[in-house]
Amino acid sequence: MTISRRSVLGAGLAGPLLASPFLIRPASAQRAAGIIRYGLSAFPPNLQPWVSTGASAGTVKMLINRSLVSYDSKGELRGELAESWSRDAEGAWVFKLRKGCVFHNGEPVTADDVKWSIEQIAGEKSTAYMRTQFQLIEKIEISDPQTVRLVTKGPQATLPSWFANYNTFIIWRKSNPNEPIGAGPFRLVGQERGTSVELAAFDKFYKPGIPKAKGIKFIVYADENLRNAALISGDVDMIEYVPWQSMAAVEADPRLKLDNQEGPFMDVLFNGSKPPFNDPRVRRAVAHAVKREDIVKVAFFGRGKPLEGVPIVEGTPWYDKELAHGWNYDPAKAKALLTEAGHANGFQTTLLATAQFGMHKDTAEIVQQYLAAIGIQAELQLPDWSTRVSRGTRGQYDMAIHGVSSDNNDPDGLTVVLDTSLSPTHGRSFKVEAPRTVAALAKGRAEFDQAKRVEIYKEMQRAALEEVPMVGLAWRQQGYGMDKSVQGFTNLPGALSTSSGNQLEETYFG
Amino acid sequence: MSAAWLGRRLIMTLAMAWVVATIVFLALHMVPGDPAELLLSTSGAMPDPATVQELREKLGLDRPILVQYGHFLAGLARGDLGASLIDDYPVIQEIGLRLPRTLELILAGTLIALLVGVPSGVYAAVHRGGAFDRVASWITALLLAVPVFVVGTLLVLLLAQTLRLMPAGGFVPITQDPAQHFKLLALPAIAIAKGLAAVLFRMTRAATLDALAHDYVRTARAKGASPKRVLVVHVLRNALNPVVTVLGLQMGTLLGGTVLVEYVFNWPGLSTPLLRAVEGRDYPMVVGIILTISVLFLLINLLVELLHAAIDPRVQHG
Repeated sequence: MTISRRSVLGAGLAGPLLASPFLIRPASAQRAAGIIRYGLSAFPPNLQPWVSTGASAGTVKMLINRSLVSYDSKGELRGELAESWSRDAEGAWVFKLRKGCVFHNGEPVTADDVKWSIEQIAGEKSTAYMRTQFQLIEKIEISDPQTVRLVTKGPQATLPSWFANYNTFIIWRKSNPNEPIGAGPFRLVGQERGTSVELAAFDKFYKPGIPKAKGIKFIVYADENLRNAALISGDVDMIEYVPWQSMAAVEADPRLKLDNQEGPFMDVLFNGSKPPFNDPRVRRAVAHAVKREDIVKVAFFGRGKPLEGVPIVEGTPWYDKELAHGWNYDPAKAKALLTEAGHANGFQTTLLATAQFGMHKDTAEIVQQYLAAIGIQAELQLPDWSTRVSRGTRGQYDMAIHGVSSDNNDPDGLTVVLDTSLSPTHGRSFKVEAPRTVAALAKGRAEFDQAKRVEIYKEMQRAALEEVPMVGLAWRQQGYGMDKSVQGFTNLPGALSTSSGNQLEETYFG
Repeated sequence: MSAAWLGRRLIMTLAMAWVVATIVFLALHMVPGDPAELLLSTSGAMPDPATVQELREKLGLDRPILVQYGHFLAGLARGDLGASLIDDYPVIQEIGLRLPRTLELILAGTLIALLVGVPSGVYAAVHRGGAFDRVASWITALLLAVPVFVVGTLLVLLLAQTLRLMPAGGFVPITQDPAQHFKLLALPAIAIAKGLAAVLFRMTRAATLDALAHDYVRTARAKGASPKRVLVVHVLRNALNPVVTVLGLQMGTLLGGTVLVEYVFNWPGLSTPLLRAVEGRDYPMVVGIILTISVLFLLINLLVELLHAAIDPRVQHG
């Protein structure tokens, strides 16, 4: 089966709106009914379970579907449809399924559904986000209805975390292509296209007492200031992506609270297919040229942290204080590197970003100023986001500003950002040679011993500081704002912040 | 007014629509940005080329542009505007869902503008140079100078965030909760109305002053007609004609203005999907919506001409 383009959000969804508990009533009535009103930043383009259509869609998808594992409030993997997983003597991953899990149509979740879902994701005609990884699964064996054994091409240390990604759900294998049936704690019960999505608690969800809320009404506010206004005026109970300039006001409001995490970051990408940025010394000069504090101050209103190395989160085992500041602000060093590379008088170049997102534009302007101070005259190019993506993928730029989040908090999640041997994309440097960095990433992925992995990833950081596949600039905060009565929600640490939607199953009015 | 004239005008309208659709279709395909790649890159995801290519094939984007254009024209001839590339939702359904909301906003805005602009314009003209005339003229100058999104943002800040009297924005179908529906409609309608009200005030004031200076007004007064009768029968009938023309001309500006207002107030009319579709290079959706707006604009112009003729018997279409 291939899921067609018509999503669940299309005509296939019969939302029995009039019979639902969502008839608009005053806030107090909604609250008494246990329905959380959540300000979403974008209407989900579609809710296909395996195709990546963004974080807002992911938030909804995580609540209506379930996978083998998910992240708990500390950002650690926990069992969901699988109660345990381990590697057997041959090095295959074995998942033991939990008994008593059912899909929304009442059918039990079986090993056959797991096998079928993995096959759909890895299929030849698949457009799934995890397609490439899942094609590393060579064989799926079902020894009994509760056990799935995955044999991989080569050792895959991070495989269990693949199933925690919000584009990797287990769907009932006999689903109609336009109506994938999941096993999440909420059911999709209605939607006003482009405006709102409504979920109601699924009463047969396997975790007792979950979900804690009776329903969630997602209301879309694309404009960040209006989203914030909706929170302040009480139109909604919580919002995602509190604008940085409004965080202080939310913190100061006695009725509201703010839950912040530093996860995503801004970086500089290079086109390494031609001079001058095919020379790692020139890229290192850029890395030492920028005073990051200014970016944090101007682009993020102080709601972030300078990033002077590879984006490894502080406090994790992979973090090393010295390596974390390997690209410290040092204009003299930057000038020396330029001279060494034969550009004593600097050069003219271009810096691609987008005017569509203020943080990209602001970051680009500051980088431009600091580059000018060491003699690099960069002309800013600020097209719309779509053009920025297109030009990035095709290598039509010299330098580019980007903002991104790692896939997860394991350094392997940085592969998408650092592994320049992968196919070109707008979020990775274009044809930059970084062989030692790439080799270290591959080594870490194939190593199961934690102590060894820590060493490998420190080696990876050392290599990246020299090879410069990208330049880290600043961590930025992601904040959820909510009414003080909203309890049980946790903004997940680091790169997982955008996966926090999962926590809405634990959220309730206190 | 002949049927032949009307027929010619309708054919012209269709031809114009086809030209617009073609220009938009070709222009969109010429700007950089690949819908498949963009969709799979939402929120910074980095898709691999094989997946993007798979989706391009599924969406028929790998075919030559002329084939795609031919396909599009064939659909258009059948009255089929195609489906969104993002979620396969039929474009015609999206328009059917959202056009009424945009029209509602425009109508509500126009109504407010008429109720405010025309009577105050007449009053200011009749009491020319008085305190009301001077203050109102100042206010209209201010209203015309301040952009619509500034007015919108200020309204949200004051009435929703600070006083918490009104919702910050959004939409509830009228069938669900009429009171809340009109509450949500009020602010965006006021924001849309502000510019038009100012224009109508000026136009009405000028046209009324013009009519008041005519001989027929003096004659009517001399014959002993009451001031009220003079104003309604003799002055306003003549003064309204240019006002109707201006109203028609302003409709285009109003359609443009709704884009900003709908965004500021989260009013889910046609502009949200249009913006989203342009950003995501969702070709069928962009063409469908722009085509709808263009046809609407052309039809409004036609309607204005008809009204014009109805009010002023000297206007002849043949």
